[in-house]
Amino acid sequence: MLWAGPLLVIFATSAGWADEVPVRVTTDSSAYCAELATRFAAQPGPRAEETAIMAEDGRRLCDTGHVRSGIAKLRRALRAVQAGG
Amino acid sequence: MVLWWNTAGALDRQVDAAIRADATALMERLEAGGMPAVVAAIEDRMAVDVQNETLYLLLGPEDRRLAGNLSTWPPEANGEFSWIRIPLQRDGAVSEARLFRVDVGGGTRMLVGRDVAEKLRLRGLLSEGIAWAASASAGFAVLGAWLLRRSLERRLSPIYRTARAISSGDLTPRVPLSERDDEFDKLGATMNAMLDRIAQLMEGVRGVSDAIAHDLRTPIARARAKLEESLHAAHDEDSLRAAVEQGIADLDAIARVFQAVLRIAEVEAGARRAAFAETDLAPVLADIAELYGASAEAREQHLAVDLPDALPLVGDRDLLAQAVVNLLDNALKFTPEGGTVTLSARLGDDFAEIEVADDGPGMPEADRLRAGERFFRADAARTTPGSGLGLSLVRAVAALHRGEVLLRDTHPGAAAPGLTVALRLPTA
Repeated sequence: MLWAGPLLVIFATSAGWADEVPVRVTTDSSAYCAELATRFAAQPGPRAEETAIMAEDGRRLCDTGHVRSGIAKLRRALRAVQAGG
Repeated sequence: MVLWWNTAGALDRQVDAAIRADATALMERLEAGGMPAVVAAIEDRMAVDVQNETLYLLLGPEDRRLAGNLSTWPPEANGEFSWIRIPLQRDGAVSEARLFRVDVGGGTRMLVGRDVAEKLRLRGLLSEGIAWAASASAGFAVLGAWLLRRSLERRLSPIYRTARAISSGDLTPRVPLSERDDEFDKLGATMNAMLDRIAQLMEGVRGVSDAIAHDLRTPIARARAKLEESLHAAHDEDSLRAAVEQGIADLDAIARVFQAVLRIAEVEAGARRAAFAETDLAPVLADIAELYGASAEAREQHLAVDLPDALPLVGDRDLLAQAVVNLLDNALKFTPEGGTVTLSARLGDDFAEIEVADDGPGMPEADRLRAGERFFRADAARTTPGSGLGLSLVRAVAALHRGEVLLRDTHPGAAAPGLTVALRLPTA
């Protein structure tokens, strides 16, 4: 029974970790997707058609539940706009 | 380890460098534009982060959230160290974050980091690859070592068998040689040569033992017989005393023979090589000539001397002198009355040669081959006093100096051709 002590400690520690709420990333949400779409719309200056299509694709992906893919598209579109495209 | 350090380790270092550069840039932005500029910079960076890796959290006084994409301030970030690693909840899956804490001041604090899940996966793949490669290398190394060991065992086995037979007392086996002429054959050939030499030396030792037993038994028996005869025949104290003195002289002669045998053994063992020094033999030879000149005159012989001004060489001066003395002793012993003994020396390009020539009966070719063996005495010398050890010492001294002893007729073709013994020693 000597091994029971350390085993209990390990179990209790593991249980403690499981209870702890891990840090979450807030930019994987559809709210952030909408925030990016607003940011894209507010970008000044001309933009290429394909950049606009990319942003539109991103918005649509977010609306259909593919949030991370949509966010990635919108970020690409934003980067293209900021780079002058 | 080096491979791991240069691949997987480089990934970690790369991530840390990017985080540090990001944090430094944000702090510069703070100095230039204040807190609003930092907030804007963080939001801009998150907005164009296509790789979706960047992590930020900027909290103002009283933990007021100013910017960032982390849900809460992790408790691990309150510790002593600025660099931390925490689990990260992402789309329902658990990832891992590498974070760097920056204390901005005024109760404001910031976390800058990266999601390192992809890097960890890549590092895992690299580590796995390295582990497989290392395992395969270790496997090949073990296999190679095993094959090498088998090959070595196979090649060394004849040598081992021969050595075992020798150690059990049988000196006849020799290492069988292959036709490869490789290092093992060279080792085997060297071992065979060594065994031949050992067998030869043992034969020599056996010969010496036999010779000692034979040649010393006679004088000991003679001395004993004389003493016994005197014991019975002596009628007065004077004749008894004379007999005892004669016995002592005989025993002294036997002791001298033992001394000579021991000295030859000592010379042959090379023990005297430590006493080698640069020396000029010319004055030594001159002294010996002077001493033996008087002795020769007493026997109505003539000692001719032809020595150079200097005879420099490296060696044992005393042993070389003893060798020349032995040669002169022999020469004077075998030269008839009125004959001439010549002591000469010369210096060649890379050798020095000392010659002792006599007018004696000379030595047959067959005897010359055996001259130098311990206790060997040519038939012509049986009637003269001597132990048969003089030339043995000369040969041993020559061998010790890496020289040689050459024998030839003094007067080729003559009825009494005489004998010239040359002691040739290298000077280089």
